Amino acid sequence: MSGVAIVTGAASGIGAAIAAELSDRGWQVAGIDLRPSDWDLGLTADVADAASVADAVRVVERDLGPVQAVVSAAGHYAIIEVTDITPEQWHTMLRVHLGGLANLCRAVLPAMSARGSGSIVAITSELAIGGGDSDAHYAAAKGAVIGLVRSLAAEVAGSGVRVNGVAPGPTDTPLIGPDSPWRDPAYLATLPLRRLVAPEEVALAVAYVIEEATFMTGEILSPNAGAVI
Amino acid sequence: MTARQHPLADRVALVTGATQGIGRAIAERLARDGASVAVNGLVHDERMDSVVTATSGVPAPADASDRVAVQQMVRGVEETLGTVDVLVVNHAYMSMGRLVDYDLDDWWKVVDTNLGGAFHLVQAVLPGMLRAGSGRIVLVSSEWGVTGWPEATAYAASKAGIISLTKTLGRELAPKGVIVNAVAPGVIDTPQLEVDARAAGVTREQVIKEYARDIPMRRVGRPDEIAAAVALLSDPRMSALVGQVVQVNGGSTRTRA
Repeated sequence: MSGVAIVTGAASGIGAAIAAELSDRGWQVAGIDLRPSDWDLGLTADVADAASVADAVRVVERDLGPVQAVVSAAGHYAIIEVTDITPEQWHTMLRVHLGGLANLCRAVLPAMSARGSGSIVAITSELAIGGGDSDAHYAAAKGAVIGLVRSLAAEVAGSGVRVNGVAPGPTDTPLIGPDSPWRDPAYLATLPLRRLVAPEEVALAVAYVIEEATFMTGEILSPNAGAVI
Repeated sequence: MTARQHPLADRVALVTGATQGIGRAIAERLARDGASVAVNGLVHDERMDSVVTATSGVPAPADASDRVAVQQMVRGVEETLGTVDVLVVNHAYMSMGRLVDYDLDDWWKVVDTNLGGAFHLVQAVLPGMLRAGSGRIVLVSSEWGVTGWPEATAYAASKAGIISLTKTLGRELAPKGVIVNAVAPGVIDTPQLEVDARAAGVTREQVIKEYARDIPMRRVGRPDEIAAAVALLSDPRMSALVGQVVQVNGGSTRTRA
């Protein structure tokens, strides 16, 4: 299976690993990121901006053809105690993660529904399921992503479009700095797998959902090293 | 390239209940992914030989609820193929009935075959996996183990028990390199549907149509769609899924487990 796939956040980290995995499997990959990325198409856009996302999707359709799969991986993380989260930080977190997914879905769904096939994958987080600590805006945004996935999955299932999520645990990417508590050996010792998730493992899960999970929708896969079971 | 095409090259997989339906599809998929497959079923019959031929595997008959038989079977597989790298607990026995009327022996037969069998199998393969410091165990649960179902108390209990067993063993064994997960299939087009149809006094086509109406994707699943999930959980490149329940059911439960 292959075709055209859009990956947001494709310039680095988990998004880049997903783009690489899909590319290796023969997909034409269009990256959408704040920064340029080096895939078949590397578009710059802010996923929080609906018009920019719609424009980018139109460019992908024009240059590469109909889009069979989209992965919403763009995002950012911050450790802030809830009393210190500013309204702006709250707003941005929701607009990027939940809005980024909603904007992408709204842009690609009409064509997918008309063709009667398509796969949408949202990258959410272990913290949306188990909750975190001092990252309430992030957990809230990622939890909202799961709610959107479950509802949209039911809404479009009859049209042949599948909507699923992948909820990684702490993953070894630049999103987690060298001094991050997620790299603390004492924390890693609490994980059943005793190590961070590799971005390539998240990418394998995403590729499975797109290529092989043809009877799965509304489901969240959790490659999280056992952080939330 | 080899890792991508044959992620299970040089690995040994034991699949229980592999002579038909989902189990057969799993055995064939793991064989295609490069594994040497031990094909388990209750008895060594023509159906088993047919799967053994299709997978270039070996027969491994045993009643999964019979602890001694399971141990002997696993020992036999280890002697013939080597240490079991991947265990897929797929066999199941099913009956239905109202709880107050349920024949007690039959009720326990469901639990002891499905959940008890999983326990015997895990204990039988674990020494080899722990010696190797690696292994994959995939337990096949059921949508009904997540949602429950009227008149399926024993089956739902056994399959819900498999989910909790998976979560606990996921935590217990991952530090030792053995990764345990579950797959919970929804309604899949297998010989079980013929049984359901006969019980309801309708045709197979009618029962499929009826089930499909209640599934968001408006169809029942195929055995190979369950096998694909098992293949992901058996893939040595993927260790980050630990103690998880992968639900493949056309959107019926949507992340409930």
